[in-house]
Amino acid sequence: MFIKKYGDIIVGGVFAVLGIALIAAARMLPKSQVMEIGPDFMPTVAGTLILVLSVILLVQAVRGLRKNPDGAYERDESDYRRVILSLILILLYVFLLKPVGFILCTLVYLFCQIYVLAPDSSRTRKDIPVYLITDVIFTLIVYYLFRLGFKIVLPTGILPF
Amino acid sequence: MSTFMKLGSAMVTVCQPVSLLFMIAGVAIGIVFGSIPGLSAAMAVALMLPLTFSMEAGLGMNTLVAVYIGGISGGLISAILLNMPGTASSIATTFDGYPMAQKGEAMRALGIGIVFSFLGSIFSFLILSFFAPTLADVALKFTPVENFGICFFALTMVAVLSSGRMVKGLLAGLLGLVFAMVGMAPIDGTPRFIFGNTELMAGFNQLSTLIGIFAVADILKSAESMSAKGVQTIPVAKVKGFGFSMKEFVSWIPGALRAAIIGTGIGILPGIGGSTSGMLSYVTAKNMSKHPETFGTGEPEGIVATEAANNATIGGAMIPLLVLGIPGDGVTAMMLGGFLIHGLSAGPLLFVKNADVVYGIFAACMVCGLIMLVVEWTCIKGFVQVLKVPRHILLPLILVLCAVGAYATNNRVFDAQAIVLFGVIGYLYHKFGLATTPFVLCFLVGNMTETYLRRGIMSYKSFGAFFTRPIFDFFWFVAVAVLIWSVFKEVRGTRSREPAE
Repeated sequence: MFIKKYGDIIVGGVFAVLGIALIAAARMLPKSQVMEIGPDFMPTVAGTLILVLSVILLVQAVRGLRKNPDGAYERDESDYRRVILSLILILLYVFLLKPVGFILCTLVYLFCQIYVLAPDSSRTRKDIPVYLITDVIFTLIVYYLFRLGFKIVLPTGILPF
Repeated sequence: MSTFMKLGSAMVTVCQPVSLLFMIAGVAIGIVFGSIPGLSAAMAVALMLPLTFSMEAGLGMNTLVAVYIGGISGGLISAILLNMPGTASSIATTFDGYPMAQKGEAMRALGIGIVFSFLGSIFSFLILSFFAPTLADVALKFTPVENFGICFFALTMVAVLSSGRMVKGLLAGLLGLVFAMVGMAPIDGTPRFIFGNTELMAGFNQLSTLIGIFAVADILKSAESMSAKGVQTIPVAKVKGFGFSMKEFVSWIPGALRAAIIGTGIGILPGIGGSTSGMLSYVTAKNMSKHPETFGTGEPEGIVATEAANNATIGGAMIPLLVLGIPGDGVTAMMLGGFLIHGLSAGPLLFVKNADVVYGIFAACMVCGLIMLVVEWTCIKGFVQVLKVPRHILLPLILVLCAVGAYATNNRVFDAQAIVLFGVIGYLYHKFGLATTPFVLCFLVGNMTETYLRRGIMSYKSFGAFFTRPIFDFFWFVAVAVLIWSVFKEVRGTRSREPAE
C-alpha cells in the first residue's frame, strides 16, 4: 500500500539524487585535452536527463496525490519474510562461493533455498528427503558437467577437489 | 547461375554421412551451450576448435558453423521456459516467451521460436550466399559515425517502448545507461564510478546483468507469493504440429521478414551484434503493431520478431567475416581462428582461392539451420518436462546455474556476485512499477553509443561534421522524428485522460 501510494515519489526522489550525484561525479572526472568531449560527457548528459525527468515525475506524482489523497489502494499481501530470507541466502551463496567452494556452498544453499521457498504445506517430513536428494544430485551433475564437459573448474575452496 | 551450381555441388558434399554426423553433433552441442547462461556460442566454438584440427578444412569449418548456429538458437529454450536468457541474443525472447509459458503455452512458444529461428537463419543465409560481396562493400561505408547513428536510434526506441508512462520508462532506461558507464571509459580508459574496486574496471558483464535482472529477480518475486499460492507447477498445453495454424503463420510473415532484414543488416555491421538486433527488432515490432499493449504479456509476434532477427544476425555476421576477414564479435573472431588453423585466410581472396570451402560453408549454414529445426523440434517434449518441477525446487536450481554461468563467463566470482545486485534492481523495478526492457536496451547499447560517438568525434573533429554523412543523417533524423512523435502522443494522451478524471 505504501509503495503503491508513494512509489512514484520515492522513484522520483531516488533518481533526482542519482542525477545530481552523476553530474557532480562527472565534474570530478578529468576533461579531455584533445577532444571536444571527454569521459565526463556521457555522465553529464545522463545525469542532466535523469534530473529533469525525475523532477517531472515528482511533480506529476505530487499532483496525482493531491487530486486523489486517499484513493483506494489494494493491500500489499507480499510475503516479505521469504523475500528477505532468499536474498540473504543468495548473498551468502555468492560471497562464500570462492572461499568455501562450489560443492559445499551449493549443497547447503540449495537445500535452504528450497526450504525457504517451499509453501508451508510442502515442508512436511515427507518432502525433506526429496529436497535433499534433488540437492545432492543436481550439485554433482552441475559440478561434473562443468568440469568434464565444459572444462571449467568451479571454485574448489576448502575441499581438495 | 554459377552461384546455384556451386551451391548445389557444395550441398552434395555437405550432405555426406560423415559431415552430416559432425554437423548434428555440432548443433546439439551448440544448443546445450546456448541454453545454459554463461556458456556462450563463442565458448562452444572455442572448445570445439581443437577437435577440428585433424579434420579436413571444409569439414572442420562446417562443424564450427554448426556449433555457432546451435549456440545462438539454443538460448530461446531457457529464455522461454525459465525466464533466463541463455545467450545475450535471446533476451527479448523472454519478454513474451516466458509469459506464454506461464499461461501454459510453453510448447506453442517454443514451436514458434524454433520455426522462426529457422526461417530467420535461412533468410540470412540466402542473402549471404548471393549478395555477400556486394553487402561487404556497404559494410565498409559504415564508420563510427554511422554506427553512432544506429545506436542513437536504438536508444530513442526506449521512448517508444515506454509510451503511456514515458517519464518512468525513460528513467528506467537511463539507469541502465548509468550502469553501462561503470568501468573504464572508452578510448582513453579513464576509470569511472568504480569506487576503488578494481573488479569494476572492466565494467559489469553483459550476461551477469541480464541473468540478474531476469532470473534472480524472478526468484525474489516468486518468494513474495509462495505461501499464498501453495505448490505451483506450470501447466503445459499439448499442441499439434508447431502449435500455430497456417493462418497465424501467414499473418506473421511480414513481421518475420522485417525482423530478418533488421537482423541481417545489424549482423553485417561489425561490433553491434545479436543482442542489439533482437531487441531492436522486438521494439520495432511493438511499435509497428496494431496492438502494442499485448507485447510483453505473451504475444507470439514478439517471439517471431526476436528469434527471426537474432538468427538472421548469424548470416549477416558471416558476410564481413568471409569477405573482408573482419570478425564482428566474439564468436566470429573464434571462427576466424578456425580459418587460420586450417590454413585459410578469410578475406577477398578466399572467394577466389578456396571457393569450394566458401560455398561449403554456405551450404552447411542452410543444412545446419534445418538440423537445428529438427533437433529442437524432436526435443521439445523433453524440454517442457522442466516445467513439471514445482517452482520452489526449480527456482533455486536456476539460481545455481545462473551463478555458475556468470562465474564461467570470465572465471570471476565477481560476476556471480554482480547478479545479486542486478537481481535486487530487477526486484525493486518490479515493486515500483518500472519496466525492465528499457534498462536492458540502454545497458546493452550504452557503451557502444559512447564509444562510437567519441571515435567519430576523433576522426571528424566536431559533431557538426557528422551530418555530412547521409546514412548517419537518415538514422539521426528518423530517431529525432520518432522521439518528437512519441512525446507528442504522450502529452496528448495525458491531456485527454485528465478531463476524464
